[in-house]
Amino acid sequence: MSTFLLILITGIGLGALYFLVASGLSLIYGLMGVLNFAHGAFLTIGAFTGLWISTKVFPNPTTLTFILSMLAGGVMAGLFALLMEQLVITRLYNRHIDQALVTVGVSLVVTALLGGWFGFDAQFLPTPLWFMNAVTIGDAIIPVDRFIYIAVAAILLIAMLSILRFTRIGLIIRAGVENRAMVTALGINVRLAFSTVFFIGGFAAGVGGVLISVFSYGVSPLMGGSWLIYGFIVVVVGGMGSIAGSAIAAMLIGITNQFANYYFTGLGDFVVVIILATVLLTKPSGLLGKVSH
Amino acid sequence: MLIAITVIFAILPFAGDNPLSKAGLQQTMAVAFLFGALALTYDLLFGFTGLLSFGHALYFASGMYVTAILINDFNVHFLLAILCAILFTSLLAGLTGGAALRTTGITFAMVTLAFGQAGHVFIARDFGGFTNGDDGLPVNADRLPDFFIGVVNTKYLYLLALGILVFIYFAAWWITESSAGRVFAALRDNEQRVSVLGLNPNRFKLLSFVLSAAMAALIGAAMLFVSGSGSPRYATADITIALLLMVILGGPVTRWGAVLGGIIYSVLSTRLTVLSDGTAFDSLPNFIGGPLTEPAFTLGLIFIFIVMFAPGGISGAYYRARFKYLNKGK
Repeated sequence: MSTFLLILITGIGLGALYFLVASGLSLIYGLMGVLNFAHGAFLTIGAFTGLWISTKVFPNPTTLTFILSMLAGGVMAGLFALLMEQLVITRLYNRHIDQALVTVGVSLVVTALLGGWFGFDAQFLPTPLWFMNAVTIGDAIIPVDRFIYIAVAAILLIAMLSILRFTRIGLIIRAGVENRAMVTALGINVRLAFSTVFFIGGFAAGVGGVLISVFSYGVSPLMGGSWLIYGFIVVVVGGMGSIAGSAIAAMLIGITNQFANYYFTGLGDFVVVIILATVLLTKPSGLLGKVSH
Repeated sequence: MLIAITVIFAILPFAGDNPLSKAGLQQTMAVAFLFGALALTYDLLFGFTGLLSFGHALYFASGMYVTAILINDFNVHFLLAILCAILFTSLLAGLTGGAALRTTGITFAMVTLAFGQAGHVFIARDFGGFTNGDDGLPVNADRLPDFFIGVVNTKYLYLLALGILVFIYFAAWWITESSAGRVFAALRDNEQRVSVLGLNPNRFKLLSFVLSAAMAALIGAAMLFVSGSGSPRYATADITIALLLMVILGGPVTRWGAVLGGIIYSVLSTRLTVLSDGTAFDSLPNFIGGPLTEPAFTLGLIFIFIVMFAPGGISGAYYRARFKYLNKGK
């Protein structure tokens, strides 16, 4: 029972990280039809910014400086996303395949750039000491970092849903996901919604990058690539353009991944692909998918 | 003209003293020829049929590993092993492609990416103890014909690679000019029209998918002999992304464009690495010199430039210039 609880909570924690990567991908694709291969680069930029804050700016990490490094990682990744959207994506308006291709190029360049500056070896990101603690629930001993991932992802989930639900720009984004042509025809400025979505997506990925560095004990230029693939899988399973779908799919995949890894040593990644294939064969639009373009 | 170039490349290693008579460059070029051929099989999917797949490396690696496993563990003759690898890969492509083709466009890209990733995990984690995991799987040299073994015989591997490239080129030519090839192009241009004409789009897409996978398997087997061992890195999405870069660089839908893109990309990424191991960039400050030592930095920038400003790549630019030249008098 104690192992069960440990695996369950670890799985939810992993799902929380998947959600941070996937939510932005899903929104960007849902609204603009851009398959963003540079999302892994956003994540890596966030992680390196977090590393910089936690080592150079504040050498003695406390809870406050860690929160700062998450925020800085998110803002930096968000700004980079915005920059990429303005410089590259908007120039390839409605050329979806080319937009995807150009993000592949951006991700290559960012990976090589960071690798050239900082090397490809993983660097340790210092955390406040209490991150190493564990809490006891019943007879299960659970490392406390899991709860941090879950809490941060929950806060961002609520924030994103609130923006989408209660603000004017959120309304435009939701309408744009359902039918972009109609929103444009009504004379509403969708461009601003595009930029917002890129910033929010970059922000979530950047925050995720800092947390993933804690989870995988290091920051490296190559970390973006492998997490991006899971992000894609979560987006497809959850349904393009649906934040709630991404959250559900991230949990589903995180939890099954952990259980499969424990009970069938190392088969977790396979089970994930099997889930993907099953969902596609039964419901090609994903669990909560709305977009049809 | 293409025939002339091929003949020159075939004769050079045997024609006295020139750069291509050295085993080192022969090896580099052999790998480049195989990547040229592989880029062409990818062009068949991406350029000719309009399918953006991110899992093509899976079939390349499958051809490579099935050949190696059959030769090493089951002592199968190498020609028979290659044949079995092609058949197995076609079956694998039929199953995965059939599932992935339930989706279209960008979702299709993601699903193939996931299948490719699963294949990479399968090879790298060594399930069933066949693939030797991250260490790579050397092919048992005793069971290959003598003329493929040793540095002095690199020229035969070079010829093998060139031969495979020529074979794939003609196969791709035959496929794209056949009536099925016309349907592939029609699918890319207007899928709805194809279904209105009473043809099943998915059947033809699957055919294109399986054909290019089968050819990739053959190239994978050849790569096994040229590099001496299989490695999980051949199954990564990085390889597929490299193929995409090659096709964009050389220009899709022209056949020779993809081949040229593949050769240039492959030679560049090898040579840029050599350059960066030297002292060429030492005089530059680290914040410029560091990234320049990464081939991906330069190649990525070129790639972004081509997609944004020069769609059609090298062959596209050639045909535009030729068109202009031919119309100059009018």
